[in-house]
Amino acid sequence: MPQFFSNKRLILLLVGVIVLVALIFFSLRDRDHANLPEQIVKDVVGFGQQLFSKPAHYITDLIDDVDSLLNTYEENQRLRERLVEYAAVQAELSDVRKENERLKDIVGKEDDLRGFEPIHASVLARNPDQWEEKIVIDRGETHGIEKNMAVMTSQGLIGKVILTTPFTSTVQLLATQDPAYRVSALVVGKTEAFGLIEGYDTERRELILRRIDASFEIKEGQKVISSGLGGIFPKGLLIGEITEVTTDDFGLTKQAHIKPAADFAMLEHVIVAKRKSTEVDGSDAGNTDEAKDKTADGGKDGDGS
Amino acid sequence: MTRLLIPFVAVVLFYLEPVFGLFSPVEIGGVYYYLIPRFLIMFLIFVGVYYNRQRALMYAIIFGLLYDLFHIDIIGLYAFLYPAVCLLAIWAVRHIHQHIIVVTLITLLLVAVLETALYGFFTMIGFIGMPFGEFAATRLVPTMIANSVFLVLLGWVFKSLANRRSIQKREGML
Repeated sequence: MPQFFSNKRLILLLVGVIVLVALIFFSLRDRDHANLPEQIVKDVVGFGQQLFSKPAHYITDLIDDVDSLLNTYEENQRLRERLVEYAAVQAELSDVRKENERLKDIVGKEDDLRGFEPIHASVLARNPDQWEEKIVIDRGETHGIEKNMAVMTSQGLIGKVILTTPFTSTVQLLATQDPAYRVSALVVGKTEAFGLIEGYDTERRELILRRIDASFEIKEGQKVISSGLGGIFPKGLLIGEITEVTTDDFGLTKQAHIKPAADFAMLEHVIVAKRKSTEVDGSDAGNTDEAKDKTADGGKDGDGS
Repeated sequence: MTRLLIPFVAVVLFYLEPVFGLFSPVEIGGVYYYLIPRFLIMFLIFVGVYYNRQRALMYAIIFGLLYDLFHIDIIGLYAFLYPAVCLLAIWAVRHIHQHIIVVTLITLLLVAVLETALYGFFTMIGFIGMPFGEFAATRLVPTMIANSVFLVLLGWVFKSLANRRSIQKREGML
């Protein structure tokens, strides 16, 4: 049998393997910042990727258009019914908004956790091997995107920015099993119940909301929104709806399964939410920033912003 | 001009993978199936078998690195797996046969090996906790089917491309 490798080749191969394994461990440890060569590669590859994903988006948009054209009649019927309601709701909304402004004036509150500035972006690529749910979008630092910003579609929250380069950024979707990935959330009801979105049930394709205080009453069908208490996400982004309430492994707190409002399957256009109210960083000497870097949005004790 | 054709096709396939990735997962009867495009590695195996081993390995390392940097953020994973799979394929073909059907089958088998190796790696570092049975049913088998369709459609194009280039090169040397 002929020799598979000559001796020289074998040594070269071994050295190569060792270097690569070292690289793997290096990049696993230091996952949350991109160094300069990485940034350059990402920007250059991202630019090339645009040439391919833009036409692809154009085609899928076209198919969607045809699809919605076919449903126009039905949709029109339905929307006409809603239109009557809409006028009433609109009137009420403007009334409530005015009242809200007046009340805020009285209290002297200027900032609001809900305020955010939307940055529109297109999806360049979805991690094709789909082990980690990540997408790359075509907006980066030069467009004002920073790490940990919330990313959503018109339907609801889908994830957050984990890595930025000058012209692209990487978004990790909510559907991840990464234990360090948390989003502070809020169950809307008579009393607001707080919890943390942690983990994803791949079988049911539902998010898991953990650490809800056992004294809070929560039921199936209640809506879950982002709470804004983590310090980076704005308040009020829709996450999903509760489908099941259980107690956690130790029986101390409640946990709930949440059906996500947004569809993670076919993402094309996303909105990055740049929060208007800045994080308060007073006497703790930069700890907020540090905490922000470490635990992203989900700091358990929030930073009081 | 054919000199640049092989790297050009490789670049196109590299960019097409994420575009196809946008359509996955596919839902059929409440179960989600993941189709993972592996066009580039299949092309590189063909280049390695029918044209030039060194070239194929070089492309495998370069594109593996790009893949790591752009998509995975773990440098060295694909940069190791791509050339390793390429080498295995070339070695296997040398010992069996160069016929296109044999090469196609070996390529598909190695795509499965690549997929399983990735599953093993991500399980090891704790990114995923998926039992092997589920992995095989929702990822491995659909991926194999999708990629075999691609390869059956385009395998002969890859072969003729690599062949034409190697004939050209031989003529150039004479």
